[in-house]
Amino acid sequence: MIYLDSAATTFRKPQAVRSAVLRAMQTMSSPGRGGYPSARAAEETMFRCRSLAAEMFGVPDAERVVFTTCATHGLNIAIKSLVPPGGRAIVSGFEHNAVTRPLHALGAETVVAASPLFDDGACVHAFANALRRGADAVICTAASNVFGYALPVAEIARLCRRAGVPLIVDASQSAGILPLDMSALGAAFVAMPGHKGLYGPQGTGLLLCGSEAQPLLEGGTGSESLNQEMPAFLPDRLEAGTHNMPGIAGLEAGLRFVKNTTPERIARHERALIRRASEGLAHLGGVTAYAAEEPMRQLGVLSFTVRGREPEELAEELARRGVAVRAGYHCAPLAHRSAGTLEQGTVRVSVSAFEQAADIDGFLRTMRGILAK
Amino acid sequence: MDYYLFTARSITHAQQMAQVLERSGVYIKIRRVSPGMTKNGCGYTLQVASRQYRRAAEVLREAGIRPVKVFHVVNGQRQEVAQ
Repeated sequence: MIYLDSAATTFRKPQAVRSAVLRAMQTMSSPGRGGYPSARAAEETMFRCRSLAAEMFGVPDAERVVFTTCATHGLNIAIKSLVPPGGRAIVSGFEHNAVTRPLHALGAETVVAASPLFDDGACVHAFANALRRGADAVICTAASNVFGYALPVAEIARLCRRAGVPLIVDASQSAGILPLDMSALGAAFVAMPGHKGLYGPQGTGLLLCGSEAQPLLEGGTGSESLNQEMPAFLPDRLEAGTHNMPGIAGLEAGLRFVKNTTPERIARHERALIRRASEGLAHLGGVTAYAAEEPMRQLGVLSFTVRGREPEELAEELARRGVAVRAGYHCAPLAHRSAGTLEQGTVRVSVSAFEQAADIDGFLRTMRGILAK
Repeated sequence: MDYYLFTARSITHAQQMAQVLERSGVYIKIRRVSPGMTKNGCGYTLQVASRQYRRAAEVLREAGIRPVKVFHVVNGQRQEVAQ
Protein backbone atom coordinates (compact mmCIF):
# COMPACT_ATOMS: atom_id res chain seq x y z
CA MET A 1 0.00 0.00 0.00
CA ILE A 2 1.10 3.55 -0.75
CA TYR A 3 0.00 5.45 2.35
CA LEU A 4 -0.66 9.15 1.76
CA ASP A 5 -2.97 9.99 4.64
CA SER A 6 -0.53 11.10 7.34
CA ALA A 7 -2.57 14.24 8.03
CA ALA A 8 -5.12 11.86 9.58
CA THR A 9 -2.53 9.73 11.35
CA THR A 10 1.06 8.83 10.63
CA PHE A 11 0.58 5.14 9.94
CA ARG A 12 4.25 4.24 9.74
CA LYS A 13 5.84 4.67 13.19
CA PRO A 14 9.46 4.39 14.28
CA GLN A 15 10.36 0.93 15.61
CA ALA A 16 11.17 2.56 18.96
CA VAL A 17 7.52 3.63 19.28
CA ARG A 18 6.20 0.11 18.73
CA SER A 19 8.75 -1.29 21.21
CA ALA A 20 7.88 1.33 23.84
CA VAL A 21 4.15 0.53 23.58
CA LEU A 22 4.80 -3.17 24.05
CA ARG A 23 7.24 -2.58 26.93
CA ALA A 24 4.69 -0.38 28.69
CA MET A 25 2.04 -3.12 28.43
CA GLN A 26 4.48 -5.59 29.93
CA THR A 27 5.96 -3.46 32.72
CA MET A 28 3.70 -0.53 33.67
CA SER A 29 0.58 -0.23 35.81
CA SER A 30 -1.21 2.97 36.90
CA PRO A 31 0.96 6.02 37.58
CA GLY A 32 0.35 8.13 40.69
CA ARG A 33 -1.50 5.38 42.49
CA GLY A 34 1.12 3.31 44.32
CA GLY A 35 4.72 2.97 45.42
CA TYR A 36 5.50 -0.40 43.81
CA PRO A 37 7.84 -0.89 40.82
CA SER A 38 5.28 -1.06 38.00
CA ALA A 39 3.59 2.15 39.22
CA ARG A 40 6.99 3.81 39.53
CA ALA A 41 7.95 2.72 36.01
CA ALA A 42 4.76 4.34 34.72
CA GLU A 43 5.39 7.54 36.70
CA GLU A 44 8.94 7.84 35.45
CA THR A 45 7.87 7.34 31.83
CA MET A 46 5.12 9.91 32.18
CA PHE A 47 7.48 12.48 33.68
CA ARG A 48 10.13 11.89 31.02
CA CYS A 49 7.50 12.39 28.32
CA ARG A 50 6.15 15.54 29.96
CA SER A 51 9.63 16.99 30.48
CA LEU A 52 10.69 16.22 26.91
CA ALA A 53 7.56 17.89 25.52
CA ALA A 54 8.16 20.93 27.74
CA GLU A 55 11.74 21.18 26.44
CA MET A 56 10.76 20.74 22.78
CA PHE A 57 7.86 23.21 22.82
CA GLY A 58 9.24 25.96 25.06
CA VAL A 59 7.01 25.29 28.08
CA PRO A 60 8.80 26.61 31.17
CA ASP A 61 7.28 24.06 33.54
CA ALA A 62 6.58 20.36 32.90
CA GLU A 63 3.46 20.60 35.09
CA ARG A 64 1.92 22.69 32.31
CA VAL A 65 2.12 19.80 29.82
CA VAL A 66 -1.17 17.89 30.07
CA PHE A 67 -1.87 14.50 28.49
CA THR A 68 -5.04 14.33 26.43
CA THR A 69 -6.57 11.70 24.19
CA CYS A 70 -6.21 13.76 21.00
CA ALA A 71 -6.02 17.39 19.85
CA THR A 72 -9.84 17.62 19.86
CA HIS A 73 -9.84 16.82 23.59
CA GLY A 74 -7.26 19.53 24.27
CA LEU A 75 -9.09 22.08 22.11
CA ASN A 76 -12.33 21.39 23.97
CA ILE A 77 -10.62 22.03 27.32
CA ALA A 78 -8.96 25.20 26.02
CA ILE A 79 -12.06 26.64 24.34
CA LYS A 80 -14.39 25.84 27.25
CA SER A 81 -11.89 27.34 29.71
CA LEU A 82 -11.78 30.66 27.89
CA VAL A 83 -15.03 31.17 25.98
CA PRO A 84 -18.17 31.45 28.13
CA PRO A 85 -21.58 30.41 26.77
CA GLY A 86 -22.64 33.11 24.33
CA GLY A 87 -19.13 34.57 24.29
CA ARG A 88 -17.22 35.86 21.28
CA ALA A 89 -14.38 34.01 19.56
CA ILE A 90 -12.32 34.86 16.50
CA VAL A 91 -11.12 32.00 14.30
CA SER A 92 -9.18 31.72 11.07
CA GLY A 93 -10.88 30.71 7.86
CA PHE A 94 -9.14 27.31 7.99
CA GLU A 95 -10.39 25.81 11.25
CA HIS A 96 -11.38 22.21 11.81
CA ASN A 97 -14.69 21.12 13.32
CA ALA A 98 -12.69 20.38 16.51
CA VAL A 99 -12.73 24.17 16.95
CA THR A 100 -16.01 25.23 15.38
CA ARG A 101 -18.23 22.56 16.94
CA PRO A 102 -17.29 23.35 20.58
CA LEU A 103 -17.90 27.04 19.80
CA HIS A 104 -21.25 26.18 18.25
CA ALA A 105 -22.16 24.10 21.31
CA LEU A 106 -21.34 27.10 23.53
CA GLY A 107 -23.60 29.30 21.43
CA ALA A 108 -20.60 31.56 20.90
CA GLU A 109 -20.49 34.33 18.35
CA THR A 110 -17.83 32.92 16.03
CA VAL A 111 -16.16 35.61 13.96
CA VAL A 112 -14.25 34.19 11.00
CA ALA A 113 -11.14 36.15 10.10
CA ALA A 114 -11.56 35.06 6.50
CA SER A 115 -8.75 35.25 3.98
CA PRO A 116 -7.78 33.52 0.72
CA LEU A 117 -5.61 30.44 0.70
CA PHE A 118 -1.84 31.01 1.16
CA ASP A 119 -2.31 34.78 1.61
CA ASP A 120 -0.50 35.72 4.82
CA GLY A 121 -1.01 39.45 4.43
CA ALA A 122 -4.78 39.10 4.07
CA CYS A 123 -4.87 36.64 6.96
CA VAL A 124 -3.08 39.00 9.37
CA HIS A 125 -5.20 41.91 8.17
CA ALA A 126 -8.40 39.92 8.80
CA PHE A 127 -7.34 39.11 12.37
CA ALA A 128 -6.33 42.72 13.05
CA ASN A 129 -9.78 43.87 11.89
CA ALA A 130 -11.65 41.26 13.90
CA LEU A 131 -9.66 42.04 17.05
CA ARG A 132 -10.80 45.67 17.02
CA ARG A 133 -14.00 44.61 18.75
CA GLY A 134 -12.16 42.33 21.20
CA ALA A 135 -12.98 38.69 21.95
CA ASP A 136 -12.87 36.09 24.68
CA ALA A 137 -10.33 34.14 22.65
CA VAL A 138 -8.68 33.79 19.26
CA ILE A 139 -8.39 30.23 17.99
CA CYS A 140 -6.08 29.60 15.07
CA THR A 141 -4.75 26.52 13.41
CA ALA A 142 -1.01 26.59 12.76
CA ALA A 143 -1.55 24.71 9.49
CA SER A 144 -4.66 23.76 7.54
CA ASN A 145 -5.46 20.05 7.63
CA VAL A 146 -6.94 20.36 4.12
CA PHE A 147 -4.39 22.46 2.26
CA GLY A 148 -1.25 22.37 4.42
CA TYR A 149 -1.28 26.17 4.51
CA ALA A 150 1.03 27.25 7.38
CA LEU A 151 -0.73 30.28 8.80
CA PRO A 152 1.26 33.29 10.09
CA VAL A 153 0.74 32.28 13.73
CA ALA A 154 3.61 34.37 15.12
CA GLU A 155 2.05 37.51 13.64
CA ILE A 156 -1.40 36.56 14.87
CA ALA A 157 0.03 35.90 18.35
CA ARG A 158 1.61 39.35 18.31
CA LEU A 159 -1.76 40.92 17.48
CA CYS A 160 -3.41 38.95 20.30
CA ARG A 161 -0.79 40.01 22.84
CA ARG A 162 -1.25 43.63 21.82
CA ALA A 163 -5.04 43.35 22.10
CA GLY A 164 -4.88 41.39 25.37
CA VAL A 165 -6.91 38.53 23.88
CA PRO A 166 -5.86 34.97 24.77
CA LEU A 167 -4.73 32.78 21.88
CA ILE A 168 -5.40 29.06 21.42
CA VAL A 169 -3.24 27.39 18.79
CA ASP A 170 -4.35 24.18 17.09
CA ALA A 171 -1.01 22.55 16.27
CA SER A 172 -2.58 19.36 14.89
CA GLN A 173 -0.80 19.52 11.54
CA SER A 174 2.31 21.43 12.58
CA ALA A 175 3.58 19.82 15.79
CA GLY A 176 6.82 18.01 15.07
CA ILE A 177 7.21 19.85 11.75
CA LEU A 178 7.18 23.59 12.44
CA PRO A 179 9.20 25.02 15.33
CA LEU A 180 6.94 25.87 18.26
CA ASP A 181 7.90 27.96 21.29
CA MET A 182 4.95 28.34 23.63
CA SER A 183 6.69 31.00 25.74
CA ALA A 184 7.67 33.12 22.74
CA LEU A 185 4.14 32.93 21.33
CA GLY A 186 2.62 33.84 24.68
CA ALA A 187 -0.29 31.51 23.83
CA ALA A 188 -2.92 30.64 26.42
CA PHE A 189 -3.08 27.05 25.13
CA VAL A 190 -1.54 24.92 22.40
CA ALA A 191 -3.27 21.64 21.55
CA MET A 192 -1.70 18.86 19.51
CA PRO A 193 -2.30 15.20 18.73
CA GLY A 194 0.31 12.59 19.61
CA HIS A 195 -0.46 10.36 16.64
CA LYS A 196 0.38 12.65 13.72
CA GLY A 197 3.67 14.55 13.46
CA LEU A 198 4.84 13.33 16.87
CA TYR A 199 4.61 9.68 15.73
CA GLY A 200 2.93 8.39 18.90
CA PRO A 201 0.02 5.96 18.96
CA GLN A 202 -3.61 6.96 18.37
CA GLY A 203 -5.35 8.00 21.59
CA THR A 204 -2.58 10.38 22.66
CA GLY A 205 -2.33 14.15 22.66
CA LEU A 206 -0.83 17.08 24.52
CA LEU A 207 -2.29 20.32 25.79
CA LEU A 208 0.28 22.98 26.66
CA CYS A 209 -1.24 25.31 29.22
CA GLY A 210 -0.25 28.95 29.63
CA SER A 211 -3.53 29.89 31.24
CA GLU A 212 -5.96 28.77 33.95
CA ALA A 213 -7.92 25.76 32.75
CA GLN A 214 -11.25 24.19 33.63
CA PRO A 215 -11.53 20.39 33.69
CA LEU A 216 -13.66 18.64 31.12
CA LEU A 217 -13.75 15.48 33.26
CA GLU A 218 -13.83 15.07 37.01
CA GLY A 219 -12.51 12.01 38.83
CA GLY A 220 -9.59 10.41 40.60
CA THR A 221 -6.13 11.89 40.21
CA GLY A 222 -4.13 10.08 42.90
CA SER A 223 -3.83 13.41 44.72
CA GLU A 224 -5.95 15.29 47.31
CA SER A 225 -8.38 12.37 47.58
CA LEU A 226 -10.29 13.90 50.51
CA ASN A 227 -11.15 16.94 48.41
CA GLN A 228 -14.31 16.62 46.29
CA GLU A 229 -13.21 19.47 44.03
CA MET A 230 -10.71 18.72 41.30
CA PRO A 231 -7.19 19.78 42.37
CA ALA A 232 -6.44 23.40 41.55
CA PHE A 233 -2.98 22.54 40.20
CA LEU A 234 -1.81 21.16 36.87
CA PRO A 235 -1.53 18.60 35.45
CA ASP A 236 -3.86 16.81 37.92
CA ARG A 237 -6.64 19.35 37.36
CA LEU A 238 -7.05 18.14 33.77
CA GLU A 239 -6.02 14.48 34.07
CA ALA A 240 -8.81 12.58 35.83
CA GLY A 241 -8.75 8.79 35.56
CA THR A 242 -6.12 6.26 34.59
CA HIS A 243 -3.54 7.36 32.06
CA ASN A 244 -2.96 5.68 28.70
CA MET A 245 0.49 4.36 29.60
CA PRO A 246 1.20 2.39 26.39
CA GLY A 247 0.22 5.54 24.49
CA ILE A 248 2.35 7.86 26.61
CA ALA A 249 5.35 5.52 26.40
CA GLY A 250 4.94 5.43 22.62
CA LEU A 251 4.54 9.18 22.49
CA GLU A 252 7.78 9.66 24.41
CA ALA A 253 9.58 7.50 21.84
CA GLY A 254 7.90 9.48 19.05
CA LEU A 255 9.01 12.79 20.55
CA ARG A 256 12.59 11.47 20.74
CA PHE A 257 12.39 10.47 17.08
CA VAL A 258 11.27 13.99 16.12
CA LYS A 259 13.90 15.62 18.33
CA ASN A 260 16.69 13.48 16.89
CA THR A 261 15.54 13.76 13.27
CA THR A 262 14.75 17.47 13.84
CA PRO A 263 11.53 19.18 12.73
CA GLU A 264 13.53 21.16 10.15
CA ARG A 265 14.64 18.00 8.32
CA ILE A 266 11.17 16.50 8.50
CA ALA A 267 9.63 19.69 7.12
CA ARG A 268 12.16 19.85 4.27
CA HIS A 269 11.48 16.21 3.37
CA GLU A 270 7.70 16.63 3.44
CA ARG A 271 7.77 19.85 1.42
CA ALA A 272 9.92 18.21 -1.25
CA LEU A 273 7.44 15.32 -1.56
CA ILE A 274 4.46 17.65 -1.78
CA ARG A 275 6.19 19.73 -4.41
CA ARG A 276 6.88 16.54 -6.40
CA ALA A 277 3.22 15.56 -6.12
CA SER A 278 1.88 18.97 -7.14
CA GLU A 279 4.26 19.24 -10.12
CA GLY A 280 3.33 15.73 -11.21
CA LEU A 281 -0.40 16.44 -10.91
CA ALA A 282 0.03 19.63 -12.95
CA HIS A 283 0.96 17.46 -15.94
CA LEU A 284 -2.31 15.55 -15.77
CA GLY A 285 -5.26 16.98 -17.69
CA GLY A 286 -8.14 18.50 -15.74
CA VAL A 287 -6.38 18.47 -12.37
CA THR A 288 -6.31 21.50 -10.07
CA ALA A 289 -3.71 21.12 -7.31
CA TYR A 290 -3.82 23.65 -4.47
CA ALA A 291 -0.09 24.31 -4.09
CA ALA A 292 1.49 27.41 -2.59
CA GLU A 293 3.66 29.48 -4.91
CA GLU A 294 5.99 30.01 -1.95
CA PRO A 295 6.86 26.46 -0.76
CA MET A 296 7.53 27.58 2.82
CA ARG A 297 3.84 28.44 3.18
CA GLN A 298 2.80 24.78 2.78
CA LEU A 299 3.50 21.68 4.87
CA GLY A 300 3.16 18.05 3.81
CA VAL A 301 -0.50 18.27 2.79
CA LEU A 302 -1.86 18.82 -0.72
CA SER A 303 -5.45 18.97 -1.91
CA PHE A 304 -6.55 18.57 -5.50
CA THR A 305 -9.66 18.20 -7.61
CA VAL A 306 -10.21 16.65 -11.03
CA ARG A 307 -12.68 18.16 -13.47
CA GLY A 308 -15.71 15.90 -13.90
CA ARG A 309 -14.69 13.52 -11.07
CA GLU A 310 -16.08 13.39 -7.57
CA PRO A 311 -13.34 13.34 -4.92
CA GLU A 312 -14.87 10.41 -3.01
CA GLU A 313 -15.16 8.33 -6.19
CA LEU A 314 -11.55 9.13 -7.09
CA ALA A 315 -10.31 8.21 -3.59
CA GLU A 316 -12.20 4.90 -3.78
CA GLU A 317 -10.57 4.14 -7.13
CA LEU A 318 -7.14 5.00 -5.68
CA ALA A 319 -7.83 2.74 -2.66
CA ARG A 320 -8.80 -0.13 -4.99
CA ARG A 321 -5.41 0.31 -6.63
CA GLY A 322 -3.52 0.39 -3.34
CA VAL A 323 -3.17 4.11 -2.69
CA ALA A 324 -4.56 5.48 0.60
CA VAL A 325 -5.74 9.10 0.44
CA ARG A 326 -8.62 11.00 1.98
CA ALA A 327 -11.46 12.75 0.16
CA GLY A 328 -14.39 15.02 1.00
CA TYR A 329 -14.43 17.86 3.49
CA HIS A 330 -11.84 16.53 5.95
CA CYS A 331 -13.99 17.77 8.91
CA ALA A 332 -13.12 21.33 7.90
CA PRO A 333 -15.94 22.92 5.85
CA LEU A 334 -14.66 26.36 6.81
CA ALA A 335 -11.36 25.72 5.02
CA HIS A 336 -13.22 24.61 1.89
CA ARG A 337 -15.35 27.76 2.01
CA SER A 338 -12.14 29.85 2.19
CA ALA A 339 -10.56 28.04 -0.74
CA GLY A 340 -13.70 27.83 -2.88
CA THR A 341 -13.91 24.03 -2.78
CA LEU A 342 -17.05 23.71 -0.66
CA GLU A 343 -19.19 22.37 -3.50
CA GLN A 344 -17.66 18.89 -3.52
CA GLY A 345 -14.53 18.98 -1.37
CA THR A 346 -11.13 17.75 -2.49
CA VAL A 347 -8.86 14.72 -2.58
CA ARG A 348 -6.03 15.12 -0.09
CA VAL A 349 -2.59 13.55 -0.11
CA SER A 350 -0.40 13.99 2.95
CA VAL A 351 3.00 12.65 3.91
CA SER A 352 5.24 12.01 6.91
CA ALA A 353 8.95 11.46 7.48
CA PHE A 354 8.55 7.87 6.28
CA GLU A 355 7.08 8.39 2.82
CA GLN A 356 9.52 8.52 -0.08
CA ALA A 357 9.67 9.94 -3.61
CA ALA A 358 8.79 6.44 -4.86
CA ASP A 359 5.46 6.65 -3.01
CA ILE A 360 4.62 9.92 -4.76
CA ASP A 361 5.70 8.50 -8.13
CA GLY A 362 3.52 5.44 -7.53
CA PHE A 363 0.57 7.67 -6.68
CA LEU A 364 1.10 9.73 -9.84
CA ARG A 365 1.36 6.59 -11.98
CA THR A 366 -1.89 5.34 -10.49
CA MET A 367 -3.58 8.68 -11.12
CA ARG A 368 -2.46 8.57 -14.77
CA GLY A 369 -3.94 5.08 -15.05
CA ILE A 370 -7.26 6.16 -13.56
CA LEU A 371 -7.57 9.28 -15.70
CA ALA A 372 -6.65 7.38 -18.85
CA LYS A 373 -9.68 5.09 -18.42
CA MET B 1 16.59 7.27 62.39
CA ASP B 2 16.51 10.91 61.41
CA TYR B 3 15.42 12.34 58.03
CA TYR B 4 13.31 15.05 56.36
CA LEU B 5 10.18 14.75 54.21
CA PHE B 6 9.30 17.32 51.56
CA THR B 7 5.63 16.95 50.62
CA ALA B 8 4.44 17.48 47.04
CA ARG B 9 0.99 18.32 45.72
CA SER B 10 1.19 15.68 42.98
CA ILE B 11 3.46 13.02 41.57
CA THR B 12 4.58 15.50 38.88
CA HIS B 13 5.49 18.09 41.51
CA ALA B 14 7.41 15.41 43.44
CA GLN B 15 9.24 14.38 40.26
CA GLN B 16 10.16 17.99 39.46
CA MET B 17 11.69 18.39 42.92
CA ALA B 18 13.42 15.01 42.63
CA GLN B 19 14.92 15.91 39.25
CA VAL B 20 16.39 19.18 40.51
CA LEU B 21 17.74 17.59 43.69
CA GLU B 22 19.29 14.58 41.98
CA ARG B 23 21.00 16.84 39.46
CA SER B 24 22.56 18.62 42.43
CA GLY B 25 23.76 15.41 44.01
CA VAL B 26 21.08 15.20 46.69
CA TYR B 27 19.93 11.61 47.08
CA ILE B 28 16.16 11.33 47.53
CA LYS B 29 13.50 8.65 47.74
CA ILE B 30 9.94 9.31 46.52
CA ARG B 31 7.30 7.92 48.92
CA ARG B 32 3.54 8.12 49.25
CA VAL B 33 2.37 10.46 52.05
CA SER B 34 1.09 9.12 55.35
CA PRO B 35 -2.38 10.17 56.54
CA GLY B 36 -2.22 13.46 58.39
CA MET B 37 0.70 14.87 56.45
CA THR B 38 -1.56 16.66 53.99
CA LYS B 39 -4.88 18.40 54.48
CA ASN B 40 -6.63 16.62 51.61
CA GLY B 41 -5.05 13.14 51.60
CA CYS B 42 -3.15 11.24 48.88
CA GLY B 43 0.09 12.78 47.72
CA TYR B 44 3.81 12.23 47.55
CA THR B 45 6.86 13.12 49.62
CA LEU B 46 10.57 13.17 49.03
CA GLN B 47 12.67 11.64 51.78
CA VAL B 48 16.00 13.43 52.25
CA ALA B 49 18.75 12.44 54.68
CA SER B 50 19.29 14.93 57.50
CA ARG B 51 22.86 15.63 56.42
CA GLN B 52 21.57 16.81 53.03
CA TYR B 53 18.57 18.79 54.28
CA ARG B 54 20.11 22.28 54.14
CA ARG B 55 21.54 21.64 50.68
CA ALA B 56 18.18 20.27 49.45
CA ALA B 57 16.24 23.26 50.79
CA GLU B 58 18.72 25.64 49.15
CA VAL B 59 18.62 23.85 45.77
CA LEU B 60 14.81 23.93 45.69
CA ARG B 61 14.73 27.59 46.67
CA GLU B 62 17.17 28.44 43.89
CA ALA B 63 15.09 26.46 41.39
CA GLY B 64 11.92 28.23 42.48
CA ILE B 65 10.18 24.95 43.33
CA ARG B 66 8.56 25.03 46.74
CA PRO B 67 7.47 21.92 48.65
CA VAL B 68 3.98 22.05 50.15
CA LYS B 69 5.30 21.26 53.64
CA VAL B 70 8.54 20.02 55.21
CA PHE B 71 8.65 17.56 58.12
CA HIS B 72 11.56 16.48 60.29
CA VAL B 73 11.19 12.84 61.32
CA VAL B 74 13.12 11.59 64.35
CA ASN B 75 12.53 8.06 65.65
CA GLY B 76 9.22 7.92 63.79
CA GLN B 77 7.94 11.21 65.25
CA ARG B 78 7.04 13.88 62.68
CA GLN B 79 7.49 17.60 63.30
CA GLU B 80 6.60 20.23 60.70
CA VAL B 81 9.44 22.59 59.86
CA ALA B 82 8.79 26.25 59.02
CA GLN B 83 9.95 27.12 55.48
